[in-house]
Amino acid sequence: MIACLLIPGFELRAALRSRPRIAVVPAALAPEPGREQLLGPVTAAAEAVGIVAGMRLGEALATCPQLVLVDPDPAGAEREWEGVLRRLEDAGFAVDPVEPGVVAFETTGVERLYGGVESALRKALDSVGPAWDPRAGAGQRRFVALAAASVARPGQAVIVEGKEEQAFLEPLPLSLLPLDEGRYAELEGLGVRTLGSLAALPGGAVAERLGQEGKQAWSLARGGERRRVRGRSPAAELAEALSFPEAVANELTLRRAFGALLDRLLARPERAGRPFRKLALAARVVGGGSWRRTVTLRDATAERGRLRSALAPKLTEIPAPVVELRLEAVELAEHTGQQLALVPPEGEETGVRLREGLRQVRASAGGGAVGAVVEVAPWSRIPETRALVVPRDV
Amino acid sequence: MAAVGQVAGRLNAPRPALVETGPGGTPRVVNRERVMLVREEWRVVDRWWTEEPIDRRYFEVVLESGRNVCVYRDGERRCWFTQRA
Repeated sequence: MIACLLIPGFELRAALRSRPRIAVVPAALAPEPGREQLLGPVTAAAEAVGIVAGMRLGEALATCPQLVLVDPDPAGAEREWEGVLRRLEDAGFAVDPVEPGVVAFETTGVERLYGGVESALRKALDSVGPAWDPRAGAGQRRFVALAAASVARPGQAVIVEGKEEQAFLEPLPLSLLPLDEGRYAELEGLGVRTLGSLAALPGGAVAERLGQEGKQAWSLARGGERRRVRGRSPAAELAEALSFPEAVANELTLRRAFGALLDRLLARPERAGRPFRKLALAARVVGGGSWRRTVTLRDATAERGRLRSALAPKLTEIPAPVVELRLEAVELAEHTGQQLALVPPEGEETGVRLREGLRQVRASAGGGAVGAVVEVAPWSRIPETRALVVPRDV
Repeated sequence: MAAVGQVAGRLNAPRPALVETGPGGTPRVVNRERVMLVREEWRVVDRWWTEEPIDRRYFEVVLESGRNVCVYRDGERRCWFTQRA
């Protein structure tokens, strides 16, 4: 069977791990800077006073002036989510993460180990831990499993057998479908309020009226495709971080620091020459929040210049001064043949010689002997804040 | 995720200094060397809106040996430091 484990409002729960008291008051995840001013997930206390996820910030504050806005912590959420996935993998589940808070997996391989589907789901819920209020669902198809998890109570597992699928889906609301806000209103205007009423419509008519998106929703309302779930390939465990003695907002400093991190990541022996397929750039910003961007490379590469041009522009998107910058190798590709260049790019030879020279200095003077001086605020009246020494140990 | 963390260091961080003062709080002896001349004096008051306010009185002095040294008295911590200004 295909199972789905769901942790509603995962980003908010992750952000509240260090501030559990806020979980019992009306609170919501604040919109990310520069994005549309819509609330993220909300606490139960906020729901009780009429605040819902996706509400406009102004409207929410007018409804509940005491509403606590929690700064998003995407890097923290990613870390917590990775922890959840690893605990599931440790319990023997080959997980296919959909998004933070939603993961699918097959139970077939572990049913005999744990003594059936229900016991396997119980094991999955236990391995995630009750603090996250996880819920699980299982069915013959992925969407059915997701729908089952959506109706389960915290800590509960709902199993839908193949012959019960249609009867189970029929009364469920349309909000389970991945549709735009406008589409729900359009369907409700047509008197379609449940998955059953959508599934009962002729597919051709739905496609004609609502387009490809509507056709997909119609297909899901009938249970969706029967596809196997493929477990993710093991995550790479490579990351480099650099902390600053005081918050840095200067782009040049961040670029230099990023260059140092990239050099260190490229030099990690665990990489064993494999090129990067997916990398993440994360920052802990002043005031306790965090920022994170993931970049998937079209062609896996370990070329410094290409990695730099793919990732460095993201530094300008960091919304606040940075306290710690972090570079993670999310996924490594297997060895691939590299087309050698007939003429090496300009400056490459100098770069190789310089790195070799620095390697010799480090070998004779020890670790930490090589650093790059980066001007942070040359105009500052406080001499020690004008420049930083960024370690260059590779 | 196994992360290797490093800390970027400060350049030109202040170092504690042994200073004896004369009238008006000007340095007379710096690190056991007599001050021959006070070339310049200035104040830096900054970050008073943070939890780490800065209140420094800098002196650029010439010592007996002929060395030029910059020292300051930290008004918050009430002690002396040397630093290249």
